[in-house]
Amino acid sequence: MREVEMMTGNTAAAWAARLADVDYIPAFPITPQTEIIETLAKWIGEGLMKAKLVQFESEHSMLTAAGTASLAGARVFTASSSQGLLYGFEMLYSISGWRAPLVLVNVSRGVAAPLTLEPDHNDVLSARDSGFIQLHAENCQDVLDLILLAYRVSEDKRVRLPSIVNMDGFYLSFTREPVRIPSKEIVGEFLPPYTPTLPFCPSRPVVKGASVLSGSLYTYFKHNMHESMIRASEVIDEASRHFEELTGRPHKPVEGFYLDDAEYVLVMSNSFTTIGKKAVLRLREKGVPAGLVKLVMLRPFPAAQLARLLKNRRAVAVFDQNLSLGLGGIIYSEVAGALYNERKRPETLISVIGGLGGKYITMEEFEYIFNLLQHPEKIEPGKPVFLFRKDELRAVENTIKLAGVV
Amino acid sequence: MLKIRFHGRGGQGVKTSSRILGRAAFLDGYIAQDSPIYGAERRGAPVVAFTRISREPILERGYIFDPDIVIVVDETLLDDERARPLDGVKSGGIVFVNTQSEQAQVENVDDKLFIKYSITDAALRVIGKPIVSSPSAAAAAKITGIISKESIIQATIDELSELGLAEEALERNLRLVSEVFDTIPTPQLKILNGETTPREVIQLEYKGVIYEDIVNVGNASLRRVGNWRIFKPIVDYQKCTGCMLCFVYCPDSVISLDAKNKPIIDYENCKGCLICVKECPLHAITAVREVKIYA
Ligand code: SF4
Ligand code: SF4
Repeated sequence: MREVEMMTGNTAAAWAARLADVDYIPAFPITPQTEIIETLAKWIGEGLMKAKLVQFESEHSMLTAAGTASLAGARVFTASSSQGLLYGFEMLYSISGWRAPLVLVNVSRGVAAPLTLEPDHNDVLSARDSGFIQLHAENCQDVLDLILLAYRVSEDKRVRLPSIVNMDGFYLSFTREPVRIPSKEIVGEFLPPYTPTLPFCPSRPVVKGASVLSGSLYTYFKHNMHESMIRASEVIDEASRHFEELTGRPHKPVEGFYLDDAEYVLVMSNSFTTIGKKAVLRLREKGVPAGLVKLVMLRPFPAAQLARLLKNRRAVAVFDQNLSLGLGGIIYSEVAGALYNERKRPETLISVIGGLGGKYITMEEFEYIFNLLQHPEKIEPGKPVFLFRKDELRAVENTIKLAGVV
Repeated sequence: MLKIRFHGRGGQGVKTSSRILGRAAFLDGYIAQDSPIYGAERRGAPVVAFTRISREPILERGYIFDPDIVIVVDETLLDDERARPLDGVKSGGIVFVNTQSEQAQVENVDDKLFIKYSITDAALRVIGKPIVSSPSAAAAAKITGIISKESIIQATIDELSELGLAEEALERNLRLVSEVFDTIPTPQLKILNGETTPREVIQLEYKGVIYEDIVNVGNASLRRVGNWRIFKPIVDYQKCTGCMLCFVYCPDSVISLDAKNKPIIDYENCKGCLICVKECPLHAITAVREVKIYA
């Protein structure tokens, strides 16, 4: 195996699980995630990994097994996508409440109906209140690194909460790029073995996830989970500093691109950020002081860091690759909340919806956003702007005509 | 950055082509990115795959709208309304077409350079099967002018071994890759205009309720699939006894029977799977190579 390899996001995820030396992998197939499980199954078959992989009859059972195995002391890796994640959704709240520090990879895919295979983030963001730490990847290297980071933070005794690492279907899951594979020694130094607190053990009974049947007890525990989630932020900083020392690769919860003197800033996450960066470079060539903020950590929400990075800017746009029907962009609302108490907050905050179901975003569309930032009077404040193109509309109308819709 | 777009049909392995090319570039020290696009496609449906090659970090992903080089693995796609393989090719770009030409031909059409060569026939000669994935990668690599033969060979070994190809089949693939790489010329790539025509951004209007229903159902039969064939099954009616086996076995039900139970093949829709050839107990059906069935 070369130190740098061409690999898809799915293969990178499998590599992370292999390097983390996970013990248990409950699985259920769904496009575009299945390749992760296939790769792990192949490696286990070839004796390259010691983990036990079990295929379940549904994501609900898969996640139940994942949580309980984690409580028994196993390092657990699992993966899902879209409808699959939603099918197992109930268990997400249980897993975090049980304080089971497993890592779940979500390969984003738009949620049906209508059915599609390509990505947006309604699936993963639906889990935003569940008590899972969320780290979102821009490229295949991020996928590998963030999974290792997630294990370290989740298993930390100050946190003890599960993580979701998100990658976009197709744009990462099936796209190969050069990915650097850290050595076993480096991973060993970065990620100590998982030492569970009071694991299930026949000779010493323990009840986990007990019913409290009382609002005060419930609030007490929920507050404690919230506190641990907030603390995860510091633990991530600490862990990523260590990771950078070992590998030379920094992974900040929020990353700036051409921010120093930027007056017009685009906030976005996941794989389309790569294209957003190209747009920023193009605008810089044209003399527009454009910049970009990439959100890597969605939970805990880095409100303070965002406020710091966005204050004093002339205008900010939040690119949401998700849609809360009847509201607009989910992250827009969260960014607006983060800025409200910042006195030097930007005067203009625009909401942009783009890339639903993997809809491609062209340079023209990115330039359109920056144009709006310079001329916000053209739009109604707070109303989301849906990115769309004339050529796309023509194709859509043609399809609808063929379908015979009345 | 060089952008290469492969057009083929499901089953022809354009994903593998894009991967072999991507890995070859990677082995030669470039930053590469390769990816396929597939939905719920079946064998024979148009598919696309992409390879980007660059010295700098690649700030692009997904569909390549403005390729420098297009590789058309299946010539019949040129007339396919949905595939549109020539869309967006840069002025000064190069188009490779796998066509019925034993010699590599180079010609200028409009502002693009076309290279025509039959990798299918080369594959039939060297491998004995119409394997076009690895030679397509070899053709693309040679056209770029920046990929070494050594790397394209090594990349073919890496990618095909990963797919679990047997030693002997791999050996033949390598011979074919080598031959195609030597045959295809490396014309000067002179991109005259790298900018695509700007696409207009619009706002969606609120239009009342729109349903996702499909009312015009059952229109799949309007889509002719005969173009997917590489071989045409031809019945020798002297030998045929009218046993009806081919009629039963044809997975696409494109064989009908005449009054004497002799098969009549609907060539507009026969996909050339050759199951009928295999099943006929009298060997009355033969497979004949063909390229373009209809425009
Ligand atoms: S080649 Fe296949 S599709 Fe064509 S007639 Fe024979 S069995 Fe049917
Ligand atoms: S299987 Fe052969 S012999 Fe039988 S009907 Fe078909 S062509 Fe004729």
